[in-house]
Amino acid sequence: MKKNYYKIICAICAICGFTSCSDFLEIKPQDEIILEDFWNEKADVDAVVAGCYAGLQSDAVIRRMLMWGEFRSENFMASGTNVEGDVMNVFKENITAKNSYTKYDAFYTVINRCNTVLKYAPDVAAHDPGYTQSELKATIAEVSAIRDLCYFYLIRTFRNVPYVTEAVTDDDQKEQIEKPASDFYTILDALIADLQSVRGDAIVRYPESYPSYQTGRITRDVIDAMLCEMYLWKKDYNQCIYYADQVIESKKQITEERRKKATISSAITALESRLDGYPLVLNSRSSNSFGIAFNKIFAREFTTSSTDADEIIFELVYDNSAAGNGMPANGCFNSWFGNRTDKGQVMANEVVVGEAQKESGRDIFANETKWTDSRLYINFEEDGTIAKGQYENVSLTLSGAKVTATYSNQYTKDHNSSNWIIYRLPDIMLMKAEALVELMGESVDEQMRSECFTLVNAINKRWLCQNTLTADTLKKENYTSQSLMRKLVMDERHRELMFEGKRWYDLVRLSMRFQNMGANNIGWLDFLSTAVNRRTGPNGSLAKSFFKKSFEGNDTYTQNMWSLFWPYNYDEITVNPYLVQNPAFGSGMSDSYK
Amino acid sequence: MSKRFNCFATRRIFKSIILTMALLLGMTVSAQTITSVHGTLSDDMGPLMGATVCEMDATGRIINSAITDLNGNFTMKVKNDKDKIRFTYVGLKTVTLPINKTTYNITMQSATQLKEVVVKSRKRATGNGLPIPEKEISYASQTISMKEFEGLGITTVDEALQGRIAGLDIIGNSGDLGAGSTMRLRGSSSLSSLTDSNPLIVVDGNIREVNLENFDMAGANNEKFAELLNINPEDIASITVKKDAAATAIYGSQGGNGVIEITTKRGARGKPKLTYSLKLTGTYQPKGYDLLSGDDYTMLLKEAYFNPTQNDAVANQYNIPEINYLGEEFSEWRQYRDNTDWRDAVTQWGLRQNHYVTISGGGEKASFRVGGGFDHETGTMIEQKLNRFSTRVALDYNVSQRIRVSTNFALTYTKNDRNSDGLLAIALKKMPNMSIYEKDPLTGEDTDSYYNMLQSGPYKGSEVFKGDQRTYVNPVASAHLAKNQQRTYDMSPELIINYNLLGLDDDHWQLNYRGSVYMNIYNQYDDSFYPQELKTVNWEDGVNTSNTGSSKSVSINTKQTFTLIPAFKNKDHSAMFMGRFELTSGSSSSQSTSGKGLPSTDGAITSPAAGGLINSVSSGYNQWRSMYYTFSAHYAYKERYIADFTVRADGTTKFGPNNRWGYFPSVSLRWNIIEEPFMKWIKPTVSMFAIRPSWGRVGNQPNQNYLFTSKYGSSSRYLDMASMIPKNIRLTDLKWQINTSYNVGIDMGFFKDRLSITIEGYHSTITDMLLSNPTIPSNAGFPTLPYKNSGKMRNIGWEFHVNTNKLVQIGKFFMDVNANFGNNRNEILEMEESILDGLNSKFGYENGEWLRRVQVHNPLGAIYGFKYKGVYQYNYSTFVNMTDAERQQFLAEGKTAPIAMNADGSIIYEVNGDPKRMMYDYTLPGSGRTGKNYKFQGGDAMYEDLNHDGQINALDITYLGSSLPKLTGGFGFSFNYKAWRLNTQFTYRVGNKILNMARLNAEAMTGNDNQSQAVNYRWRKEGDVTTIPRAMHNFTDYQAYNSLVSDRYVEDGTYLRMSYAQLSYALNKKQLTWIGLNRISFFASINNPFVLTKYSGVDPDIVNSGYDPAIDNAQTPRSRSYTLGITVDF
Repeated sequence: MKKNYYKIICAICAICGFTSCSDFLEIKPQDEIILEDFWNEKADVDAVVAGCYAGLQSDAVIRRMLMWGEFRSENFMASGTNVEGDVMNVFKENITAKNSYTKYDAFYTVINRCNTVLKYAPDVAAHDPGYTQSELKATIAEVSAIRDLCYFYLIRTFRNVPYVTEAVTDDDQKEQIEKPASDFYTILDALIADLQSVRGDAIVRYPESYPSYQTGRITRDVIDAMLCEMYLWKKDYNQCIYYADQVIESKKQITEERRKKATISSAITALESRLDGYPLVLNSRSSNSFGIAFNKIFAREFTTSSTDADEIIFELVYDNSAAGNGMPANGCFNSWFGNRTDKGQVMANEVVVGEAQKESGRDIFANETKWTDSRLYINFEEDGTIAKGQYENVSLTLSGAKVTATYSNQYTKDHNSSNWIIYRLPDIMLMKAEALVELMGESVDEQMRSECFTLVNAINKRWLCQNTLTADTLKKENYTSQSLMRKLVMDERHRELMFEGKRWYDLVRLSMRFQNMGANNIGWLDFLSTAVNRRTGPNGSLAKSFFKKSFEGNDTYTQNMWSLFWPYNYDEITVNPYLVQNPAFGSGMSDSYK
Repeated sequence: MSKRFNCFATRRIFKSIILTMALLLGMTVSAQTITSVHGTLSDDMGPLMGATVCEMDATGRIINSAITDLNGNFTMKVKNDKDKIRFTYVGLKTVTLPINKTTYNITMQSATQLKEVVVKSRKRATGNGLPIPEKEISYASQTISMKEFEGLGITTVDEALQGRIAGLDIIGNSGDLGAGSTMRLRGSSSLSSLTDSNPLIVVDGNIREVNLENFDMAGANNEKFAELLNINPEDIASITVKKDAAATAIYGSQGGNGVIEITTKRGARGKPKLTYSLKLTGTYQPKGYDLLSGDDYTMLLKEAYFNPTQNDAVANQYNIPEINYLGEEFSEWRQYRDNTDWRDAVTQWGLRQNHYVTISGGGEKASFRVGGGFDHETGTMIEQKLNRFSTRVALDYNVSQRIRVSTNFALTYTKNDRNSDGLLAIALKKMPNMSIYEKDPLTGEDTDSYYNMLQSGPYKGSEVFKGDQRTYVNPVASAHLAKNQQRTYDMSPELIINYNLLGLDDDHWQLNYRGSVYMNIYNQYDDSFYPQELKTVNWEDGVNTSNTGSSKSVSINTKQTFTLIPAFKNKDHSAMFMGRFELTSGSSSSQSTSGKGLPSTDGAITSPAAGGLINSVSSGYNQWRSMYYTFSAHYAYKERYIADFTVRADGTTKFGPNNRWGYFPSVSLRWNIIEEPFMKWIKPTVSMFAIRPSWGRVGNQPNQNYLFTSKYGSSSRYLDMASMIPKNIRLTDLKWQINTSYNVGIDMGFFKDRLSITIEGYHSTITDMLLSNPTIPSNAGFPTLPYKNSGKMRNIGWEFHVNTNKLVQIGKFFMDVNANFGNNRNEILEMEESILDGLNSKFGYENGEWLRRVQVHNPLGAIYGFKYKGVYQYNYSTFVNMTDAERQQFLAEGKTAPIAMNADGSIIYEVNGDPKRMMYDYTLPGSGRTGKNYKFQGGDAMYEDLNHDGQINALDITYLGSSLPKLTGGFGFSFNYKAWRLNTQFTYRVGNKILNMARLNAEAMTGNDNQSQAVNYRWRKEGDVTTIPRAMHNFTDYQAYNSLVSDRYVEDGTYLRMSYAQLSYALNKKQLTWIGLNRISFFASINNPFVLTKYSGVDPDIVNSGYDPAIDNAQTPRSRSYTLGITVDF
């Protein structure tokens, strides 16, 4: 027996002696795949593409899309005392480089995933016969669009950012990691060029067996919508209108096809006439009950068939099943807007709320003596609680000239399945209208004015709580000059896209558009200062003083607009030697301390 | 040497070939052999009956044996006439003869007639390295023999070590059962929280490899400690702490933080000995600061809500029925009119019983030692319970003179019933006017259900408690109703074979082979259940939650060691060489399931599989391997000049192919000056005087695998698509962290080593430091790297220890002293600017915010903050409304109001002639940052305006002290008189500062948490002279800055602690013959009976960790305990 032990040990010795050391020390993880074993087949590419979307719908990204796009505008204010400190500081316009919402790493995580797909997908196509060239091109178009969308958010927020288009896999890729920021317009041009080059390869229609893909993933419509908006920022209005028309036409076609298959009731066709042929979702439940569009546009779930909301172009989809399909719920709306258990951290600003209760003399909502614009109710409740993204249903009942709103099916805590809409048709229509305004000139091209008004009016009419439209709320004769028309378009955008992460970007875009037009022209601050001056309460005055100070710091209003953008996060500045902090925020830290 | 070896080996091989051939041919070839022997044995007195005759082969193995009969005759068959025949009889000299005849008539000689042989015993180093005689050890180490503790009540190993080892800092982490201590040898070698900084623990040459998935380093301390707990102190023979790189070089990259080597007891020759010991220990936790009663608390809260606005209407709008002693208009009114001492409700006297039985014994061939113990403990927190069963078996079998086989087996089973919530932390914060048990709304009597603040549903109380009090569970209810059980099985079997291939004694060349296989099997099961009674939330938000998980880890380690000890003709030279190959391979896996909404009432159903919703199911797998080659050489000339050299090569799976192997060399020298001829005259007094310089290099590796590969793992789904994402950025060039150290030691012994003194000085430099999670520009797609080699750090220190061996001896009384002290300085020499920037905090102007400053060439652990000058007695308005004369008088009387003064102490005036009001953080133009712009009021904290700019801001922050102690150490005395023995041990730390955040939070008065009774002395009205500011609730818009980090909370952490005092008494054999026992000893001991300190917190045992200063975050204090024990030898 003892001899056996000896033998065993001898054997172990021998085994050790003969085994090559390097083999012994070579182990692979069991629960993850390593690069060398990955990127073999189409399924691998598809999985990482899904990873790009998963990154895009992560809490960190969604929160920033909403905050960067709207929290500095007059739409939001803090609700109650349990507000996150960093959020509070944004409302106070006390944004320092230490504020966690200045972190943009979540966007670059998505960008890097996209870049990784772009790097490895061609290799997969080269040796997987099941992955065709056209599929490869479609993949490239899809991830390029996701990447460009991320960059578009970044430049609208930070103005200049590092533009990385190569996948970072190793820690020694110094030139990709420590990269200086590129100029706003340089990146914008690069994004436009990139999107145009892949536009033709993008998928136009996903198979009908995957209904949620049509609005939940990148299509050619999404790329066109992005191009439309990018050209608007670039001040190339003709191109903007071109791509807006592409989207509108495509959406009309989809609706057309769908309607051919279904029988349409005459009541609906009668109502449709008010939409001037634009495929917007109807809002009427019955002769005196409205609000159905709310559910169809804002409370869509993963399982709902996409055909309900023809006007949605691109949205990020969330899950609400308690068991979980492995998809996250919308945590951003859950904590900021509120849920059945907790009150939200933010609410509609009292100006916006006050506006809704005014009988006349409104600035934001159309100035008429009735309260029949549904958006007075579907955006927020009477007490300022935000309704979009918190309820599944809003029911509006018309009785006389008075509308009563009933909010139902509030999401429970941690199970908010509201989708996050990035583009929907009214957004595109209004961008087209905005381009038309700029093109019509001060002399006012009548045809353009007309077209522009029709676009705005179609959107406005859709929301009116009247079964038979007696009179339009908006009167064409009131908007005769370019500046009146411009205000109309911007106001319509304001009320239509409220709480959808658009308002602040609109203000920045307008300011950038007019900044170099000279002192005698439109003060580029007009829209911005109006918006800032609307802000009330102690935070409002802090915000006003911030902008006042920022503007006064410069010789003229036209010199720079750095204060409209955000500072880089402290961490980025310290580790990237080439990054120069936004001058409006100094070093962004407490200077007295250094 | 080699020639001789070759010659010998060749002969052996030749011999064995012949032998084999002979065996093969044995059947056919007949030779003239002796097949049996016979004869008679006798001594002086006549024939010997019962004497043993045996045949032994060349290796000393017994092949055959016989016993003499009544007349001393024997007959025995012989297997091989090449063997030898041996005759043995107790008390007579053994005779060994060659088998060259068939008849043996032997007259054996009495052994007692032999002349006495002086055996020169040399105490040798035990452990994993070469068996170097103690006098020739050239590295820094310190050994404690457990003989010192024999018969004493040491319950854990760290208790024995505390205060005994110079340079070893042991800090108790928490008073919870099974919770561990943190150990730091010669300062921290790593600042990263991801690499472990505890010294390596080696038990009988083996390193326990338990590597569980999701292994957090916070829990790692507990793990390390568990390792020590799993060894019963009764089993330990000695503990050696190896300190410098030369000592730990044989552990290569594993020994970067120092090594604690534990040697366990083995069986000894003799008749079986049975020992039973029992210890009974009572423990309790020292109380911290006194808490407010319910009445004081409600009063405080009312003030805190009123003060910010000074307006009753505003204060009332918060409408807090819980503190207003309302009547029936508030449905919960009965529940909020108590004076509950929550701390008292959750603490108790803990009781511990330790039973241990050992049997040991052995004969010439085999020896054994079997120990088994059972421990049962109840904690100082209610409902904590720990049961532990441990056993350790050591068997040695001498197959022959040359071969010895040993096996060891250790098993520990632990069942730990823990609390689900941090009860003490909650008890300190929970509102004291609430009752523990729900009161009957009609009678006001306690019902038998626990009361919890309503958390959701139609809420009946105030919203102000939403973020705090409403989230604090009733700790008494949690203790009784929630279940959180952990069971662990830890097994480590080991098989060792020793083979002496050449000579057996010092006169011959010795080549010894030692091979071992050691396994470590660790299984852990966790079950927890959190019942609905503890959480008053919606069903779907997760009530009746449950989690069950298990993890297992198996590792196997094998070591092949050859030790060569040449025998030189010239006895002045001596040398030893060792070569070792070691291989470790292990894997672990884990799985856990958690569920919610279990259909359970009264905790009857607790398994997540019992019909609730399964929340998550997770599993993990982990694998690691490593390979080590060690070579070690020792040379001594005349026991006077000694040199050692060790080199080890480590290969691990943690690094990529580029840096897979690390090489760790070390050299150490020793000069025994006392052995020099010129020192002969001093020898009667000085028995030892030696100097030992050493140099060595050890390393550290990261604690993660696969860092050098690019991994893809799954992420959340999108639509119906499963997703994969790149998980990491590949670290192509990660290197070993290298620690190079120099050490000089001086050993001195006086009066035949009755007094021995050791002094050590060391200097170690850590380069290529492994920093975890350094931030990188996030445009890389990853915000941080997992690890980066960056920076250089230095530890300089010295140590001193004194030990005595019967220092004072008067008749039957003798006394011993031990003392040690040491000091370590830690300094960063190089670090990238960006990493430093990332580490250093920026002041955010908030209450309770402390600053971390890490600067190159500055020691770590500095505390920064404001200077606190007391409380403003009067309001600003009061001062402004005075006339000039009144103002002068006001100031002359030493009264204070928030007005700004310039450097010469005169008032600064505004343009309008009013005195400038003191402000906090006034917005600086152009800073891009809106300040707090807080106007100081009467009753607010007064901070010193160091730069006299009329406002308090970051520029007034100053250095407040260092948390590094000037000296740490311990000392102890032992007194012996006959069978009585008294042992005492003390530890101390001198000259360090502690930032007492626990007190800051307990006196802040900004939230709804219960506060310390000190706040009863708060400022309440103008003119009050006090050092405690007014109560100000922390409203966003009316915030006061009364609890900024300032010298008010920086306290001296100097202390002297009595670690233990033990009194023992042993009854000797003579007194016990009537009951047939060998020995009974009794002891009583007190652990941690007192701490002499000026520190106001519960326990000053707080050191700085990593980059941070020493901060007291209200950790559970070290418990005090009283032990009674008895040990019986049968």
